[in-house]
Amino acid sequence: MKKKFLTGLAVACAAAMMAGCGSGETAETTTAAATTAAAAEASESEETEASESQEAAEAPELSGTMKVVATSEDYVTLFDKFTEETGVKVELLSMSSGEVLSKLRAEGGTPSADLWFGGGIDAFMSAKEDGLLEQVNFDAASELADTYKDSEGYWYSKGITIVGFLVNQALTEELGVEVPQSWTDLLNEGYKGEIIMSNPAVSGTNYAVVNALLQTMGEEEGWNYFQKLNDNIAYYGKRGSDPLNKVVSDEFAIGISYIDRGVEATIDGSDIAIVYPTDGIPWVPEGVAVFKNAENVDAAKYFVEWLFSNDDNLRMLAEIDKKDGLKLVKPSIEGIELGYDPAILMEEDLSLFGSERDEVLAQFEDLMGDKAADE
Amino acid sequence: MNKVVKEHNSLNMNNGRKASKDTFLPVFSRTVDGTLRVVVLALILLFILFPMVCIALRSFAGPEGPTLGNYAEVFTKYRQNFVNSIVVGVATAILCTFFSVCTALFIYTKTGKLRLALMAVLLVSMVAPPFVSSLAYIQLYGRRGWITYRLLGLSLNPYNALGVICMQSISFAPMNALFLIGILSKTDSASLRAARDLGADPAHVLRDMLIPLIRPGIYVSLLLSFVRSLADFGTPVIIGGRFSTIASEIYLKIIGYADLEDASAMNMFLLLPSIGFFFLYRHLMTKTGGTADAQRGGQEGFDLKLLRCGGTGIAVSGAALLFFVMMILQYGCIFVSGFLKRKAGSYVFTTEFLQELFRYDLSTMVRSVVYALIVGFVGTFFAILFSYYTEWRKMRGRSFFDCLVTLPYMLPGTCFGIGYILAFNKEPLALMGTGIIVIANMIFKQLPTSTKLCTAALSQIPRAQEYAVRDLGGGRLSVLKDVILPGLRPAFFSSFSYNFSTAMTTAGAVIFLINPGKKLAVFKLFDAVSSGEYAIASLISTLIIIIVLVVEGIIYMFSMKGVKTNVS
Repeated sequence: MKKKFLTGLAVACAAAMMAGCGSGETAETTTAAATTAAAAEASESEETEASESQEAAEAPELSGTMKVVATSEDYVTLFDKFTEETGVKVELLSMSSGEVLSKLRAEGGTPSADLWFGGGIDAFMSAKEDGLLEQVNFDAASELADTYKDSEGYWYSKGITIVGFLVNQALTEELGVEVPQSWTDLLNEGYKGEIIMSNPAVSGTNYAVVNALLQTMGEEEGWNYFQKLNDNIAYYGKRGSDPLNKVVSDEFAIGISYIDRGVEATIDGSDIAIVYPTDGIPWVPEGVAVFKNAENVDAAKYFVEWLFSNDDNLRMLAEIDKKDGLKLVKPSIEGIELGYDPAILMEEDLSLFGSERDEVLAQFEDLMGDKAADE
Repeated sequence: MNKVVKEHNSLNMNNGRKASKDTFLPVFSRTVDGTLRVVVLALILLFILFPMVCIALRSFAGPEGPTLGNYAEVFTKYRQNFVNSIVVGVATAILCTFFSVCTALFIYTKTGKLRLALMAVLLVSMVAPPFVSSLAYIQLYGRRGWITYRLLGLSLNPYNALGVICMQSISFAPMNALFLIGILSKTDSASLRAARDLGADPAHVLRDMLIPLIRPGIYVSLLLSFVRSLADFGTPVIIGGRFSTIASEIYLKIIGYADLEDASAMNMFLLLPSIGFFFLYRHLMTKTGGTADAQRGGQEGFDLKLLRCGGTGIAVSGAALLFFVMMILQYGCIFVSGFLKRKAGSYVFTTEFLQELFRYDLSTMVRSVVYALIVGFVGTFFAILFSYYTEWRKMRGRSFFDCLVTLPYMLPGTCFGIGYILAFNKEPLALMGTGIIVIANMIFKQLPTSTKLCTAALSQIPRAQEYAVRDLGGGRLSVLKDVILPGLRPAFFSSFSYNFSTAMTTAGAVIFLINPGKKLAVFKLFDAVSSGEYAIASLISTLIIIIVLVVEGIIYMFSMKGVKTNVS
């Protein structure tokens, strides 16, 4: 008797689960279509409302809470300002862009956040490809440089991240080697086992290094370069902050890392030097995008417009980020000056970042040969 | 068994003074009992089987309908990682169990204040704040580690398989040691004393009595560490260097490629050895007849001079001391890092970071404590109920459910989190974004360990106590209330401590389930670590450790209150 009941229960549950997992696809697509239509209407009305000048645009009727996944919590003040002006409450959670993308895919079209703020642009490109992002169009978008925005308005850039070397000078001295000045220098045999970079699959900035160098050097020479560099690399960190952390804690002499004023603050007082490679600095835009089907898609869309239409907001952002790359994103902005000559940035065709990603990463994986059991 | 019950009930009816009350109570008792069982089992199906089924289905998903392609790809590409996982798992299981047994014996054979102090170190080391523990490990034993490099002048490279094995072993050992101490303290210390009085020398007591007594515990420790090592992605990600296991590759698949299909297939792959090991373990357990016999031993430990126990005794002491020294160093390193600032190659003391900590938004800490308390209580009661139905009542289908309950332990945390998104993202079970899903995830992720703790303790309660209650007219609920719960007091404490401290520090699974508005303290820790603010991260960890110890202390006092008077 009991046994029958139990098996019955188990079977029923299993059946319910199958249904729960598998179904929903059709229902989902219909709701998705409905929401998109509604959102399109909303964006039209916003466009007409948006003022032409640089003055603060009139806020449309917004309410509720906007949930944001960002690369750091430092943006609180910027979002506080948004709350003050629109009445929309903002909740912030920091997540890496890889985590965001996985979560989005698992959620299968019902995202738990509204706005994606910051992270390597390759993840945004993948998300666009998968149809997970919402199109955002607004007047001031025309003032943004084409390089740094999606041509169809699926993502924008809130700045750019540049890549350089972090060099632990106490260690280079101990090893009796010079401080490297260029990408070519890194092939010096003296650095064997002393260079650390992140796996380009997890780090948007280190992916930029690979793709940019391949573009600059050309496919063949580029892969040759990474093959040789591989001999000097201790290992490829599985977290984006590994190079910074390991160089700071004296574990490795050279880290290939993103450089921002946060990094500068971290190494302040230590004998770690920042080197901007003389043969070009790879860079990657940091994306901003709205999730398709999000609960508060209107607020998130308005936020994007609000941010890029008002230079005060952008200046505030630049202040928080401690970066001046916004000058490149929106050349007309005043009060932000580039601290470097943009000519030292490598020439990159960003469209290749997304389209080549799988291929480049697969080839890189073979090259790393991390499968070896001994090491 | 049923016959006995019926007899009890009829006896009860005949002897009862008020017939109406006596017919009502057993019916009530049986209904509640039946409902409870259904609820427990249904929740397990919902929160463990359902997400697992979703992961399994996802592993067959291809661009054009169901496919086995993911498996083919995973199998050809990750065979080496599979071997790596098994090698590391076996090595970790052995090394970790060695350390755990030595530590447990060492503590068990000490008395008085020394024993208390050692227990305190063990309890502290049960709290493992993510990342910070491994950072401390690297700071101590890294290429430029304070111990390996500065003190011993070695330049070891820990970023390899050996590093993974060592770090896993020492970080899994506290939990296993605590478990073994629980078993040891239940052994009959009177017979050990008798053996000593009859002239057995200490070496023989150790080798021929103590170690065989805890053999089932050793099997449990081996199983737990092996499976935990297979599923552990954090350690190989942080210290593996170029060496990678299946679990760390799964992490990479999710974080780097957002490839849920391959990740799911790799998970299924990973489950094979784990489930195999699980059945081997069950087989061993039934062969040895479960844990030690039902006699209640003294709680106070047994004074045995380990150093007079010959080679074995010296080895045990040596390993235990090494373990304690490493733990003290590691946690000392975490505490101290909160007050050190680097200045041109050396360190200066500062309280600057402490002041910064007070400016931090600590509301996340409050939420963490609330969640962890809920997980601690609910998870422990759930585990007690589950082990009561499976182990005590020998419910049908228990090996199926027992295996099911062990599954979350066998998966990398990230995947269990992804499984929850897949399962609870749509109506009618749209739980995403709620606190419930986070708490449920923690409870069920930790259920394997808490049920093991409770089951082991249950097997030591004498059956006679149940019969006594039934003879006196008590129903099944009374048995649960008056025999099982009091008998599980010590297990309640260890299960609660485990649930609470793990809930305070867990990160892998919940990262995907947390709503932006409902952050936990570990996320502050994350932020601090990833922006390189070690000192702040250390201070947050210290705060978490202190909170855990205070809460555990309070629970310990309550759970032990009256134990001495209550139990014969």
